[in-house]
Amino acid sequence: MKLKEIERTAVQAWSPANNHPIYLATGTSAQQLDASFSTNATLEIFEVDFRDPSLDMKQKGTLPASNRFHKLIWGNFGNGSPESSGVIIGGGDNGVLTMYSAHRILASKSEPVIGQTEKHSGPVRALDFNPFQCNLLASGANDSEIFIWDLNNFSVPMTPGAKSQPHEDISVVSWNRQVQHILSSAHPSGKAVVWDLRKNEPIIKVSDHSNRMHCSGMAWHPEVATQLVLSSEDDRLPVIQIWDLRFATSPLSQLEGHARGVLSVSWCQADPELLLSSAKDNRILCWNPSTGEMVYELPIQSQWCFDVQWCPRNPSIFSAATFDGWINIYSVMGGSLEAQQKTQADKISSSFNNLDPFGTGQILPPLQVPEQVAQTTLIPPLKKPPKWIRRPVGVSFAFGGKLITFGLTKAPGQQMQQTYPHQVFISQVTTETEFLLRSRELQMALQSGNLLDYCKGKIQTAKLQFDENLWNFLKVNLEQESRAKLLKLLGYNKEDLQKKIASCLSNGIPDKQPLPEANEANTAQSDQLLINTSDDVAAVSSSSAFFDNLIPQNISALEIPVTEDTDGLISQALLLGNFEGAVELCMRAERFADAIILAIAGGENLLKETQKRYFAKRKTKLSLLLSSIVQQKWQDIVCTCDLQSWKEALAILLTYAKHEDYTQLCDMLGARLESEGDAALSNDACLCYISSGNVERLVECWVKNHETSSPLALQDLVEKVMVLSRSIEMLRGTAGPAPGPVLAERITQYASLLASQGCLAAAMDYLPNSSKELLIEQLRDRLFHAQGGNVGDQQPPPFPYARVNVGVIKQTSPAARRGSTPEGAARKTGPKHPEKPSYQSLTPSAPPQPSVPSLFTPQPVPALSMTPHHAAAAPQASAGLQTGVYSRGPPYPQYNLGMVPATASGPALSQSQPFSPAAARPGGPASFPSQPPLSGQSMPMTSPGVLPPGPALFTPASLPSSQLPAASPFPVASQSPLGFSSAPFSCPMNMGYPQGGPGAPSTKPLPAASLPPPPTAQESWTDPSARGGLQKKKLPEKFTPPAPITAPVMSLPTEPQGIHPSLSRLQESGQSPPGAPKEGSLQYHQLPAERVERKELPPEHQGLKTTFEGLVQRCSAIATDPKTRRKLEDALQRLETLYEKLREQALSPTILMGLHEIAHCIEARNYQQGLLVHTQVVSSSSFSEVSGFMPILKVLMTIAGKLNV
Amino acid sequence: MVSVINTVDTSHKDMIHEAQMDYYGTRLATCSSDRSVKIFDVWNGGQILIADLRGHEGPVWQVAWAHPMYGNILASCSYDRKVIIWKEENGTWEKTYEYTGHDSSVNSVCWAPHDYGLILACGSSDGAISLLSYTGDGQWEVKKISNAHTIGCNAVSWAPAVVPGSLIEQPSGQKPNYIKRFASGGCDNLVKIWKEEDGQWKEEQKLEAHSGWVQDVAWAPSIGLPTSTIASCSQDGRVFIWTCDDASGNSWSPKLLHKFNDVVWHVSWSITANILAVSGGDNKVTLWK
Repeated sequence: MKLKEIERTAVQAWSPANNHPIYLATGTSAQQLDASFSTNATLEIFEVDFRDPSLDMKQKGTLPASNRFHKLIWGNFGNGSPESSGVIIGGGDNGVLTMYSAHRILASKSEPVIGQTEKHSGPVRALDFNPFQCNLLASGANDSEIFIWDLNNFSVPMTPGAKSQPHEDISVVSWNRQVQHILSSAHPSGKAVVWDLRKNEPIIKVSDHSNRMHCSGMAWHPEVATQLVLSSEDDRLPVIQIWDLRFATSPLSQLEGHARGVLSVSWCQADPELLLSSAKDNRILCWNPSTGEMVYELPIQSQWCFDVQWCPRNPSIFSAATFDGWINIYSVMGGSLEAQQKTQADKISSSFNNLDPFGTGQILPPLQVPEQVAQTTLIPPLKKPPKWIRRPVGVSFAFGGKLITFGLTKAPGQQMQQTYPHQVFISQVTTETEFLLRSRELQMALQSGNLLDYCKGKIQTAKLQFDENLWNFLKVNLEQESRAKLLKLLGYNKEDLQKKIASCLSNGIPDKQPLPEANEANTAQSDQLLINTSDDVAAVSSSSAFFDNLIPQNISALEIPVTEDTDGLISQALLLGNFEGAVELCMRAERFADAIILAIAGGENLLKETQKRYFAKRKTKLSLLLSSIVQQKWQDIVCTCDLQSWKEALAILLTYAKHEDYTQLCDMLGARLESEGDAALSNDACLCYISSGNVERLVECWVKNHETSSPLALQDLVEKVMVLSRSIEMLRGTAGPAPGPVLAERITQYASLLASQGCLAAAMDYLPNSSKELLIEQLRDRLFHAQGGNVGDQQPPPFPYARVNVGVIKQTSPAARRGSTPEGAARKTGPKHPEKPSYQSLTPSAPPQPSVPSLFTPQPVPALSMTPHHAAAAPQASAGLQTGVYSRGPPYPQYNLGMVPATASGPALSQSQPFSPAAARPGGPASFPSQPPLSGQSMPMTSPGVLPPGPALFTPASLPSSQLPAASPFPVASQSPLGFSSAPFSCPMNMGYPQGGPGAPSTKPLPAASLPPPPTAQESWTDPSARGGLQKKKLPEKFTPPAPITAPVMSLPTEPQGIHPSLSRLQESGQSPPGAPKEGSLQYHQLPAERVERKELPPEHQGLKTTFEGLVQRCSAIATDPKTRRKLEDALQRLETLYEKLREQALSPTILMGLHEIAHCIEARNYQQGLLVHTQVVSSSSFSEVSGFMPILKVLMTIAGKLNV
Repeated sequence: MVSVINTVDTSHKDMIHEAQMDYYGTRLATCSSDRSVKIFDVWNGGQILIADLRGHEGPVWQVAWAHPMYGNILASCSYDRKVIIWKEENGTWEKTYEYTGHDSSVNSVCWAPHDYGLILACGSSDGAISLLSYTGDGQWEVKKISNAHTIGCNAVSWAPAVVPGSLIEQPSGQKPNYIKRFASGGCDNLVKIWKEEDGQWKEEQKLEAHSGWVQDVAWAPSIGLPTSTIASCSQDGRVFIWTCDDASGNSWSPKLLHKFNDVVWHVSWSITANILAVSGGDNKVTLWK
């Protein structure tokens, strides 16, 4: 298609390839006159700008020339300087050769002519620049005159050798494109002479035997040094001959297509397979010289085109100069001229100034330009795709940091000349090596569970004090007695303090402060006590114990002196038991110590009153602290303390705050620090959040003050977060709640980053399973499928997009789909679109997306899931529900990820809840509609059917939250007529069920909250008829199936994993799950056993008691140190907690196993081993389960080890 | 660090012009001057030929995978002036749509972000850009930008879907008010940015810096920052990175990444938009951070 045009009777020259923008130089043509008969000559330069869609070219420079031109050429000479645009050489009429500076013409500067010579005797028709040395120019004129010019010295030309005979005009000179000293000249007689400039002589003459050739054009092959083409102007032989000098006797081939003589040829430098020719038949053709095929034809022009030239810079365009005085620029790529036609029409219209040119008051309508023109300009592009459009190499990125490359030869030695490389390389790109290294370390630590060492390593390598602190705090969270150790980290070492106090007391340094002595002693003593107690018990659980001990100890220590020394009145009041009076008297006399001691004897109210009055009277620096501590106003401390003493406040919390308040108080303190906006204080706030284990707040606080955009910074954060959440998990034995938005965002970011480095599996591990965030779902889907077959046991996550069917919808059943799939494709489609079939099974109204809300609406489900198994137990029903939604769905429900409402895991996990086994079990009530979020957590629907007596008690309304042990259904059950009394429950029988029984979904989030096997009577449940009847009656209406998807855990503890096989086996084999009435009846007895009267220890655990108590006795026999003795006494008491749990069957198999192993070690007197087992048990079980007795076992073994009993 | 993990022998009989992985990175589509499009399963270091698609009558320049929510769909464009959309149906690949509205070689195809629906932009040597939108039940609607690039359009690349405000998809078919944009590069040495306004595509920006054909443009994936980034490469060996910080999309500024000594054919962003891969006529692939 035509791109540009100018009306000039001129010869033309393109600017060299390296010039930008592209110019076209025109010089008035010699031997052509127009109607003006003007003999003036002009040299003009036009810019060829395709950004402008019009056909116009802008004239950028013009210059009157001294004579007209036969040939114009534009070379690179002098192009080294930035302002140069090369030189234009014009071959003139009378042997004049003129050299112009293109730059000077363009810039309209003076002296644009930089050289002129008249060495030639006649018109100079042939010019060519050496492609290798831009200062070398060849020129040819008449009389066989050929000169070689060095533009640096334009006055003296060289000759390539003796003039060829006979003398004739030189039509073309051309330098070889490969060998720089080879030049050829073509002559109208039809021969071409090849010159070797080193030898200074012609080395070969090429001529056709027919003698009818009349050379008009000649061109060297752009790539093959020995080939050239000659074109014949003779109408009798309108051909283009291709010659190879290696066989210079006859042409290799002849391109025949023109009807009349060929006027010019131009060989495309960008693609040797494209050769342009113009001829007297008014056609311009493009050939593929290697095949002889005509690949392009520009339709008949109105006039001969005497010169065609490829544009050196823009390979798909060429210019053509015609005898009728036009220079046109065409593209060989086809296309239409719609837009141009329009602009032309606009131009014509506007030139008539259609804004009322005739003053008639009428605006002329736009000019109508005939449409026909546009149609004829549609020219098909080159038949042969040009080389420049054929992209030989390529690169693209793919998901997972993969890089796809092709077109590259791997080994440079390999010859790839004829055959193209047909390989595509897929590479893994990893850029963040340090990030990956650290991520791998973290991954290993998390997998091995050896987080302590990980923290230690981090502490050692920490560069910043703050970082070190954080890691210290994190480390302590992983350890036993974390509170005590946290205190140490805050700078409060109990041993040190004790020493200080001791030395202070023994030195008798008088206390200058006006504090009563008794009070001083009291404080000291409380410290002492604190140390003792916290040594005895794991610090986390010690705070309440501390208060238990504090008061009785005080009394026993102080009672004796009271009776000895009294004021008369006080003693009288005492004798009469009038404590109030006595206290009043003491307070008056400012005998505070006495007053308080008396108040203790006088009862709680009096004590409190007295304390209050005391604090009101005594205003010292310490009193606020004292009052807060004594009156347990921790919140006051947190809210009012000077932020600079946050450490002290935290220390107080660590020492005193009850477990359930602790978290909240720490967070409050953290929030206060954070709200200051000060970076240092925010860092301290992070420490508070670590202490409280509040991951989300930690992240929020962190991101405020630290950038997390770089991979390593993100890694910094994630390391801490993962360690902290893991430590909390270990502490509570359950997965943390679903991450909040801030954390989820970072984790997703982190996972994406891992994915981008190719760590797909690791990335998947980090993605919070429970999150419903669309981005996370999408990433999970992508990660899953990106791993292809590598995720063997997992089921695909739901497809997080709404599917759109493209093409005409064909009805195909899923079975047919799979059946008809060829092998390769089937393998692929199978796992990739598991959800497709299932969507078809959904009701039409359901969106084609597993939309979250619908899954969690329990209402529509019961009928559906219950009908097929009306007598079946709930777990089965819930399994049915799952398969209903995902017909090819997972056997392991935890992979139905990400759909859990946060509430599902929330309540059970909140740290402030005392986590008694009973509370941990949602039990019966949970299955009622009143508590849908909890229903998924544990064997919910089994209960209704199992509790034959007193059904009325189980109306949903009467059931408070299952979190409250007192309100749990258990009391009812235990008082039921059938009774739960007789035989001690056989534990082993229950072992298999506690987790597997309720159905997979339930146990997953609460592995440690295993169902306590209650001490119930098996007999009471052996009547199948009663049971069956009840179930049939009650189940269908009563229960709401659990949400099929339950809170998953981010990293699954080992314990629940073991359950899957058995569970899936159950489901696959079609057996009723344990909860089903027929076999799994034991399931139903598993109700919390809080108030059952004390029974015998189960026989198999009797050994534990014997061993532990035996050890206490042995120790007591040897121990002399009162402190130790006290510990041992305490031990006996605390072991009761253990026995209690054993009776209740409230301990998980793992713990029981651990206990037996510990007992075994104790029997073997291998306390070291015992302690190891102890650590294992503690780290793998839930805090609530073991907190009552595990610490004392440790103390006991430690003592035993020391005493060497 | 780049390590080859898989070498796929495509058995193409002529030059390979494009190799693209699907959304999940497990399937490879290649196309070649031998007029064929091939699809391979490539995970786990293996390769299984899934399809050898014949239908083009000229070299196939590019292939593009649609988002999986539309099924397994691949678009290919060729020198034969055709765009073919292939679809896997019952495990076999078939032509689902053929577009023949261009007058010259179709050099580039690129699917719009999946949020917009199934839209394919096609750039051709006839200078036009076509936008094919799937309108349901096998129907496609065509919009054409004529003379987008004089002499030809070599590349098209969509801007990531950025919604002002919420990212949540409305399931009811109500589409959020996306501002649709794409970039194109052509033989007029320009990079142009097109924006849809009232259903019409308008030239929003003309980015001038290249002094040769723009061979490829790549709009960087969104990483949540307000900055838009485009990479473009050219015959002149230059690779430019264009950035625009303001939301209106009006002030783009170029930065020269590098000047190579040969044609630069291809630029491709990593998924996380932090690495740019550049492949040039010197047979080298370079990665830029």
